[in-house]
Order: sequence, then structure tokens, then C-alpha cells
Amino acid sequence: MPKLAKRLPQFFVALMTLALGLSGLQAKPLNVPVVYYKLPNGLKVVISEDHVAPVVTVAVYYNVGFRVEPKGRTGFAHLFEHMMFQGSANVKKFEHAKFVEANGGNTNGHTDFDYTNYYETLPSNRVETALWLESDRMRSLDISEENLKNQQNVVSEEIRVNVLNQPYQLFEWIDLWQNAFTNWNNSHNGYGELAEVNAATIDDVRSFFKTYYAPNNAVLTIAGDVDANEVKKMVEKHFAGIPAQASPPAPNLAEPPQTKEKKVAQTDKLANLPALATGYHIPPQSSPDFPAMALLVQILQGDDSARWFQRLVKDKELTLDLTGGLNYFGNEFDYSGPMIMTTRATYKPGHTADEVVKEMDGVIAELIQKGVTEKELSDAKVRFRSSFYNQVESSFGKAHLLSCLALFRDDPNQINHLMDPFDKVTGEQIKTAARKYLVAENRTVIDRVPAAKDQKADAKGDN
Amino acid sequence: MSRSKPSSHLLATLLLLLASIAVYAQQKTPPPPGADRPLNLPRITERKLSNGLTVIMAPLPNVPKVTAILTFRAAGTAADREKHPGIAQIAAAVANEGTDTLNSKQIKEELRSIGGSLGLGSDADSTSISASALSEFSPRLFALMSDVAQHASFPEDELKLAKGNTIQRIQAGRADPGFLVSERFQKAVFGNHPYAFVVPDEKSINALMRADLKAFVATYYVPNIAHLIVVGDIDTEKTFAEIEKAFGSWKSGATPAEDNPAVPKREKRQIYFVNRPGSIQSAIYIGNVSIPRKDKDYFSLRTADTILGGSFYSRMTRNIREDKGYTYSPFTASNTQAKSGSYVAGAFVRNEVTGPTLLEMFYELDRMRVLPVTDEELKAAKEFSNGNFSIELASQAGLAGRINTIYTYELSKDFISDFRAKVNALTPADIEKAAAKYFDTYHAAIVIVGDWEKVKDQVTPFGEVTIYDAEGNVISK
Repeated sequence: MPKLAKRLPQFFVALMTLALGLSGLQAKPLNVPVVYYKLPNGLKVVISEDHVAPVVTVAVYYNVGFRVEPKGRTGFAHLFEHMMFQGSANVKKFEHAKFVEANGGNTNGHTDFDYTNYYETLPSNRVETALWLESDRMRSLDISEENLKNQQNVVSEEIRVNVLNQPYQLFEWIDLWQNAFTNWNNSHNGYGELAEVNAATIDDVRSFFKTYYAPNNAVLTIAGDVDANEVKKMVEKHFAGIPAQASPPAPNLAEPPQTKEKKVAQTDKLANLPALATGYHIPPQSSPDFPAMALLVQILQGDDSARWFQRLVKDKELTLDLTGGLNYFGNEFDYSGPMIMTTRATYKPGHTADEVVKEMDGVIAELIQKGVTEKELSDAKVRFRSSFYNQVESSFGKAHLLSCLALFRDDPNQINHLMDPFDKVTGEQIKTAARKYLVAENRTVIDRVPAAKDQKADAKGDN
Repeated sequence: MSRSKPSSHLLATLLLLLASIAVYAQQKTPPPPGADRPLNLPRITERKLSNGLTVIMAPLPNVPKVTAILTFRAAGTAADREKHPGIAQIAAAVANEGTDTLNSKQIKEELRSIGGSLGLGSDADSTSISASALSEFSPRLFALMSDVAQHASFPEDELKLAKGNTIQRIQAGRADPGFLVSERFQKAVFGNHPYAFVVPDEKSINALMRADLKAFVATYYVPNIAHLIVVGDIDTEKTFAEIEKAFGSWKSGATPAEDNPAVPKREKRQIYFVNRPGSIQSAIYIGNVSIPRKDKDYFSLRTADTILGGSFYSRMTRNIREDKGYTYSPFTASNTQAKSGSYVAGAFVRNEVTGPTLLEMFYELDRMRVLPVTDEELKAAKEFSNGNFSIELASQAGLAGRINTIYTYELSKDFISDFRAKVNALTPADIEKAAAKYFDTYHAAIVIVGDWEKVKDQVTPFGEVTIYDAEGNVISK
């Protein structure tokens, strides 16, 4: 008997009871209360009450990800994210963190394919502090040469620690995307080449801010233990006066269909074991094939009962692990441009990437021929629903999903019907999706093997 | 048909005007907090089964799921380390790969159909089964946890596969500076104490036989030295009945002898350098032995840590990240466990600033030892602790994990309700005293993973150096 919080607002409980009484449904639908409106300056506002714990998340999602950063400036969207913590008219450098933490909360930001977010989770009686902080930097970011230089150093260290000084260097993202996509907006290294991160100028920062960081290009979400009407007044007070800007140009993300398999061989100077990554282009979220594709991903690699895991790790003992999914950074709902399903596996010395790919192909062929079992399909739906609950459990997780639905679909209320298209998927549709998308000419394979020992002493990538 | 008089109309216009000014002016100072909201502290119920299993339940109906942790309190990573090094970790890796009645695939498929997950892990003090599922399927989740706890069969083929994979995973990990620095740090700080154990070597893994593992779980996976925590969308009485049904027939066992050698005391400051040729960064950990979780200084040390490096707006981050730009994510951490603990300050920095970073890290550690923190810093640290405690308790995994520490480390049952009072009572003198005692830079272990040839001149001024390779062999002293 799925149900959400036991402490929904009274009117909501009444509505739910009524709906259940009329329909006689066994399972209660998920009910997340959603208030959604736009300020005259174009800012989309989402408020969702939940009183289970005395906490709230305030999140601002800007409609700009690393796909749209300028050529010659790889990594700029992420560098800019760091600049948002460098002060604004009434908040000194880095004091954003001070105000949030001294009010009992935590804060961070994240740059993704199609959005950049900033958020604070804190005790709910401090909600206005977070709104003030977000409004101050949306209205009046303070940009200085000195702080830019400082954050270029910090981001360079971030790239070193997470990419350049690591075995495999995130090849299942950075290298796979560079090879699988042809449109630069989609294919380039979103973490950034060090030289380009360090070439950014203060004018780049100013113009990016003016173009993308305007209220009409953003969503503000407040999720948690607050009164929606009180929060509305606070939002009006802090955000209504921020002027709208001209809408940014729509980026060209069009990707020509892939017609031939791409195979890439790489060596790795830091890794001890070989690994491979594959990427298949998947249909857009608006395609009728999308829900089936999402469940197909679960069936192939959703967990360790999944077909690829069972074949490669357990039956054939070819790989140590198998990870991946439909969206490298997130889920089915938090991106908007072209996407690939990625898979990464560390394979065992003495074997080859071709052997691994051949087994993956064998699993697909079998699935196309015999289809999936009823149980496999219904289990995939249960698993999908369970992951969805994991997503909305925390105030931040819920704010994240609501923000993305507002940002990309202008409809955060979809959160209450999000599972519907997936629940309706049939076994036949799964087979069709496999036949259409899981073909060799639609994929990229990278085989990455340890470099010979005498080449190992000199890691690539530093400048 | 307005009934308002001209004067009140004027007043209304004025008010409106004022209101619109208030709306459009940018507020210069942070708004004051609103009235305190109810904390909604968890309602925790503790029961005991006749076999000795302690059961702790706490409703948290934020989503229709249930989260459970079953902890075996004596099955730490170093358990049985004289005869069978690594046995706790291999047992944890294979216990959910087959029981007397279910094979590996059947277990995974059962989990899939209840929207569930179930994994085992060992740390220095215990082994835990962590599991979750849709709450409507809680009886099936408990049945599966109970089956794994009581009837793990360690099939030969699964054991062989897990042993081989573990050896290769460790080999893969030896390319990762994060793994190397934490492994060497643990060994440097804890010496011969069981807490120094990180991963077994290849020979020890290969020597583990099915009979050893069966004997291990028969000794350590017993209800009378275990506790089960269940959090989520539950009804306490109904859930307890389900738990009794699943775990009631589990047989209790003898309590294994405790392996409790003294925690070593460090004699001097010493550098442990793991040479990783080709590194473009130095991975730095500085630290020492600290205290067990139940020590009276726990809250002082925890709060000192928040101020020094345990929060984003900490001294360490402000200095070596926001001022100097040496590093991305500096941190400090107080890792307190059942018998002892460690204190660590860490940063990953480009080769060129290895020496300057060591200088600043020691400066910040010593500043905490010598000068009192400001009232403003302490007030902020208290708010940070208390607020983030509420955030932690709002998630099923957070609440279950917190309750697990209470039972694993034998803390006061009132730990959660007393938390805020304990934090709020701290004074700057408490913080300084804890820092002086536990941020012991004079006898610190300095562990660095990096390219020795590139950074040796920056490192040697800070102490005597022993150099290791990635496999842990001493190359030179």
C-alpha cells in the first residue's frame, strides 16, 4: 500500500480520501503537494509542503549546463558555478557558506549537461535566509579578477583530483562523450581542459552571468516544512525586484544519427587493470519508445540481478564489475538534450574487450528473440518505483525533481504522475526498443588498457 | 462603493508605496530566523527477542519504504586476524551469494521484486547487513535478511569468484591515490592494533576455505551480540510481529573472546611517503590516534573538527582553498569508533605546493591548540551541528545509521534527545582543550602519496621519511 507522508496538509488528506473512495483503487498514488506559479520577471516558483521533519531545501536551477558553454572555454559553466560562491552585493566572498552553516544548514552547487543548480538545506525556520542569499547573488553577483584567479586554481585542483591524477580518468564520461557525439555542444569535455579553464577572463564571467543567470531563465523551488502562503510572500519580497533579461539564444543540440559503430583504443598510464565503456544513443524523452528504453536499461544493468551483470560478472566471469545507466549523472528526468546509455566494466587480464562486447551482444540478441518474462518486466517496474521513492525521500531530492520538471517541462505537477508511462510498458515495446537502439552502428566502444610498465612514469594531462 | 474616507485612502496609498519600496529594495542583512519548528524527534522503541536479538524500531513515514540494519557487533575487519586475515570481509562479500535454500540469482531476483537492496559490509568494529525495500514487502525483506544471517552457505563457485575478484579489486585500488593514502594512514596511526587492518593480502585471501567461513559466521553472526534497526513507513507493533516471525527461531551462541590490545602511542612526528611515479598531485593526510566514540571529549572534539575543517566555511577551507587556491576539497575528520579513533586533516594538492600546504595545515592545526576559537565561530559550529543533525534524522538511512552508532558503540540511549543540550553546553575552553590534546602535531603521522622525485625537497623539512611502494613494501628509510 504505497503512501507518502502521514502528515500531509488536512485539505490534501481530504482530497485523497475522496479520490480513493470514488475509484476504489488498491494502491494510493504518490501525492506531493505542488504550488506552481511565475513571477512577472519570469522566475518559475515551486513550493511543496512536507512536515515530516523540521527541514527545508531552497534550490535555484538555472537553465544552463555545460553543453552551451562557449568554444575554447570547456569547463566554463562549472567554473562559473564556483564564482557564484565568491560574493554578491551584500554577501562577501565565500560568506554564502558561512550564513548557511551558521544557520544550521548545508549548501552546494552542481553543473550538469543541461542545468546548473544551487541549493541550501537547513532548519525550516531559516528558509528566508536561504531565499535572501539566492536572491542576492541572482541580482548582484560580485565578480573580481582576484577571485576568478583563485577559483581557476581551485577548479584545476578539482580536475586533477577527480580526473587527471586518477586511473581511467573518467573515460566512461569524458572520452565516451567526445567520441559518441559529433555536435561540439554535446561532445566536448564538460569538466574542462586545464588550459581552457585557466584562459577564462572576467568578461567571460560577466557576460555568462548576464545571459544565463536571469530570473526568466531559472526555477526557484522550496520543499519542506514551510507554509506555502508565507513562503510566497518571502519570494515576492526577495525576487520580484530582480529584472528579467533577454532570453538566451536556444542552443543547437541537434545530433546527426550515428550510422557506423565507433571503436576507440586507449592506454592508461595509471591504471592496473583494463576496462571498457560503451555508449548507445537513446531516444529523446518525448519519444514513445522512451519509457520502454528506460526499463530496458533496468533489465540489462539496473542491479546485480540484471542480464548483463549476470552474464559478464557471474556466468562468464569476464568482468569484475558492471556499472552504468541511462544518464551518466542523474536519472530519466533531469536532462533535456541528446543522451547515451553508458556502461562501464573493469575486465579481467587475459581477456579482451571484444569478448566482453560479444557477450553483451549475445544478451541483446536473446532478448530480441525471446523477449522478457512477465516477472522481469513487473519487477523492473517495482524497482523503478522504489528508486523514484529514494529520489523524493529527502527535501533536496524532491526539490531536485520538482525543479527539473519545472525547468524542462514547465510542469512540476507531473511528479504525481511520473510513473504512469513506465507502468504501461509492454514486453513487446521492450523488444522493439532493443531492436531499434541496441545495435552496433548506434554505439561507441572504448577499450582502455594499462600502458606498458616503462611508459607508466609520466601521467598525461598536466600543463 | 468604497466606504473609505479620503484620509484612509491616502494612508493606504502611502502604505502601498512603502510596501512596494520594501519589495524592490535589496535587503542588506540576513533575515532573522522564524519561530522554532517542532523537532519531531523519532519515536524509538527497543525490544528484545528471546534469543537475545535487540530490535530497535523508529517510524519515519517520509516515503513508503523501510530501511533496516542488522549489525554483528564482534565481526570487525580484524576479527580472527591471526588465523584468517580478511575473513570478515570475504564473509560479507559472499554471505548474500547463496543460502541453504536460495542461490545467488534467486536472492537478487527476490530483492528486485520487492524494490529492495541488501548488502553486507565490515568496518573496524562490526559487520552489518544493510537493506531496504518497499514497505508493503517488509515481511519478505526480513525473511531474506534472516536467511542470509542464519543460513549463508558459501557455495564453492561463489567463494572462488569472490576471492579472485577481491584480489583484483585491491590490485585496481592500488592505482588510486585515495585508497593508498587512507590505507597507509590507518597503518601508521594504529600500528599493531586491529584497527590498522585495511585489506588482506593475496595469500591470505586464497587460503580462506568454505569451512572457515561457515565456522566464522556460526561464531560471529549470532543474535545475542547483534542488533536490528528498522526505520521507515512502519507500524511498530505490526513490524515487531513480522520481525519476531522472521528472526525468532535464530539460535543464540557464545560471545567470542574480545581482541583488545592497547592502542599504540606515537613517539614522534614521522612521514610515510607512498611513491606513485607519475602523480601530478600529492595526497596528504596528517593525523593521530584520538578517542573512542563514547569518550567524554566526543562533543568537544567533534565541534573543534567542525571549526577546523569539518564544514565548508571552516578555517582549513578558507585558508588553503579560498585564500591560497592550493586545493579543491580540504577536510578534517574525527573518526571515533568502539575502542579508539583517529583524527585526520587531508588535502590533495598539485605537486608544486606540497610544502606550502603542509606548512598551512600544521599552522591551522596548531592555531586550534594554542588560541581559543571566537564566540562567533563556536556559535556557528553549534548551529551547524544541531541543524544538520535534524537533516540527518530526516532520512531513513540517516536515522537508522545514527541509531546503529548508539548500539554499536554502546552510547547513551538518550543520545539523540540529548544531542542539542550537549552541543550547546560547550565553551571555547572545551574546544581549545580538546584540540590541544588530540590535534597532536608534534607526534603526528604525515602520510603522502605522490611522486617522490618531484616533491621530495618540499617534504623532507617536515620530518624523517620512510618511503613505500604502492604494494606497501618499504623502499627506503
